[in-house]
Amino acid sequence: MTPVLETAVAPNYLNETHGIRSWLLTLDHKRIGILYVASITVFFFLGGLFALLMRLELLAPRAWLLSPEEYNKLFTMHGIIMVWFFLIPSIPNTLGNFFIPMMIGANDVAFPKLNLLSWYVFNLGGAITVFALVRGGVDTGWTFYTPFSTTYSTTYVTAAALGIFIAGFSSIMTGLNFIATIHRMRAPGMTWFRLPMFIWSHYATSLILVLATPVLAITLLMMAVERIFQVGIFDPALGGDPVLFQHMFWFYSHPAVYIMVLPGMAVISEIVPTFSRKPLFGYTFVALASMCIAVIGFLVWGHHMFVAGLSVYSAMGFSFLSYLVAVPSAIKVFNWSATMYKGSISWDTPMLYAIGFIGLFTIGGMTGLFLAALGVDVHVTDTYFVIAHFHYIMVGGTVMAFLGGIHYFWPKITGRLYPEGLARLSALIVFIGFNLTFFPQFVLGYLGMPRRYAVYPIEFHMLNVLSTAGASILGVGYVFPLFYLVWSWKYGKKSGPNPWRATGLEWTSDSPPPKENFEVTPVVTGPPYDFERMREELGLG
Amino acid sequence: MAEPTVSKRTYFFTFLSLLGLTLLTTLLGFLDIGSLNTAIALGLATVKACLIAAFFMHALHESRTVRVVMFAGVIWLLIMISLTVVDFMSRSW
Amino acid sequence: MAEPATLILREQFRTPVQQRETATLGMWIFLATEVMLFGGLFLAFTVYRMYNPAAFIQGSADMNIMLGAINTAVLIGSSFTMALAVHSAETGDRKLLTAFLTSTMVLGAVFLAIKFTEYYLHYLDRRVPGPGFSFPGPEASRAEMFFVLYFIMTGLHALHMFIGEGILFSMILRNRAGSFTAEYHTPVELAGLYWHFVDVIWVFLFAIFYIEGLHLHGK
Repeated sequence: MTPVLETAVAPNYLNETHGIRSWLLTLDHKRIGILYVASITVFFFLGGLFALLMRLELLAPRAWLLSPEEYNKLFTMHGIIMVWFFLIPSIPNTLGNFFIPMMIGANDVAFPKLNLLSWYVFNLGGAITVFALVRGGVDTGWTFYTPFSTTYSTTYVTAAALGIFIAGFSSIMTGLNFIATIHRMRAPGMTWFRLPMFIWSHYATSLILVLATPVLAITLLMMAVERIFQVGIFDPALGGDPVLFQHMFWFYSHPAVYIMVLPGMAVISEIVPTFSRKPLFGYTFVALASMCIAVIGFLVWGHHMFVAGLSVYSAMGFSFLSYLVAVPSAIKVFNWSATMYKGSISWDTPMLYAIGFIGLFTIGGMTGLFLAALGVDVHVTDTYFVIAHFHYIMVGGTVMAFLGGIHYFWPKITGRLYPEGLARLSALIVFIGFNLTFFPQFVLGYLGMPRRYAVYPIEFHMLNVLSTAGASILGVGYVFPLFYLVWSWKYGKKSGPNPWRATGLEWTSDSPPPKENFEVTPVVTGPPYDFERMREELGLG
Repeated sequence: MAEPTVSKRTYFFTFLSLLGLTLLTTLLGFLDIGSLNTAIALGLATVKACLIAAFFMHALHESRTVRVVMFAGVIWLLIMISLTVVDFMSRSW
Repeated sequence: MAEPATLILREQFRTPVQQRETATLGMWIFLATEVMLFGGLFLAFTVYRMYNPAAFIQGSADMNIMLGAINTAVLIGSSFTMALAVHSAETGDRKLLTAFLTSTMVLGAVFLAIKFTEYYLHYLDRRVPGPGFSFPGPEASRAEMFFVLYFIMTGLHALHMFIGEGILFSMILRNRAGSFTAEYHTPVELAGLYWHFVDVIWVFLFAIFYIEGLHLHGK
């Protein structure tokens, strides 16, 4: 008689169907989220490899490992891959895809086929961009400024632009899907102000995705047309203006940074209440702040162009608006802090990443205010100060939030617990490595070291060595989760539906959830983060 | 839903109006009235666009969300154009 | 007559009304993205028109107003037939739906034929930007920018028309296969929204390219 397995696994979205076709042709938002995890992980490590090579080169003041031309290609490809193939899709297309329907009580997104198509389109764009890389790379910087990109660069600019253009369609599809889903697929009783903050932040992100990305598309198209047909759209000889390219490029690319940070904030807004056992402080303000960030974020792009030849009046206007856009972000930081105040704090890994986010994002955000001041910007623009600023937000912010979110939602996604001790150690390594890498760069920039240079004066040597040391530590910190998370999927301890005792519809389903998310459509009768009610229901007093 | 959203009559009058406005735009274009030319041409184009949206695209009968989406697109376009143009215009101040 | 197809309620939706409203919302959001896509080009036109008013007006005077105006009327006509097609779908009249969809396609094809005729005439006049470009008067290089934008903007519009023709054709095929009824004809409505939007874009293209320089005709 064959022994009966004691621990039979309930049918869930992972084991319901098998085989590669059931994954590659899935319409299940949860599986699509996992497909995206695979893609962005590959791109993250590819972009990270370029960063490591750059930091190796910068160990010495002269061009010892790479020629300056090769270095130009490295920072360009690092930027392109990290911005468009990691940061922008990182949280929305993985955790967003997986949890937006669950959090609103729906059984999928509004347009599942569009969702699957977006993954294929994304990978097609990535493949074309990697093709440009393999064929020799691009050296224009991720910003593709004209006339270098249109006239003088001899690298694979058009191919890279095409890859990004195609990936842009994936962004638009995702944003469109999320907006339609959040508007039309909420469960009965799930009114707008009962939505988890994760949803508000992703909604704001989606608005930016659909309104800004098309402008990137048309800008890249115009650049490519000028390059291929040699008809000078941005060429002064024909009455064109290279600054117009910059206006159009940054009209997208500034809101793009909010596409990158708002989802990070979405994750933090879920983690902090759970690990403080308190509702999110000032829910309405945080929700409205998300929307303000999205809207005001469209009005500040000129701050990337202060030394490009903007009129001084225009520059003053953009400077003022850039100060304004910091306010809603600050409101969020205050409210997360107030949520923790007098809360019952647990120091699990997701919370470590969340607290790290709050501190590092604050530093990054405040240095943004330095840059928004016209006089200061003239001194530090195009230096390592700017690089440190945006890495504090993108890496100290978004990447930490991504890791925090992955750990937080890991039990729900996989039905397994990750090893907590090793995870906390990795979080610490990441935090130390990150600060060692990027804090010296603030100093370097302030002292005058320009960005995008393979060589530098000898007086900057020590700080660069520190930064590279930090980068190696940071790399280790990122590799650990890759291994222990994959390990835990097979060998980790099994998780119940709600290991963190969090509120939210997503935690009411099994871990992993069934394919249709909920046996019965949930009906919502109260606000989110209702830990009070949870304590009553559990009889904890 | 066997009840049509908009009647054939309304479509026909919209069609006639659009043709009429096209004719008007063209005829007015022949007048040499300086910068008013542009304003009138764009103004009439906007009226035509509104007619197409309201009647052919059923915008008057759609949900509030749809109307917000429509206006958002237009407003964002105006934001993009006006803030950029302000830079170019104010360089000579 | 064949049994009309029943409405397919997709898994993720609870009611047919929710499905239809979501699809409509989705299409309008897509159209908003198209506004921003074309918008970038309108931005470039606005800026360069500000920089080089004389050259742009001269370039506009060079356009063929007859063909432009006829094309505008043709496209408006096609929007009319498209609206009537949606009307037929709403009343469940499949034959009329095919007829109006076909008329819309035909008018769209007429538009494209006239447009490409215009392109050919521009080519003969050496108005195609590039090394072979030639334009009378001192503003030639600035006028070339006008034509760069003209070809890109009307070209992008024409590409959208081609895609629209494809969408209309697929609607005709699906109608003949019996997919649409008075209860369910959402794809036809969405196709209509797309088609009307492409018409709206042309309305603005007509204004900025053809009308601006009209007052110079005959001078």
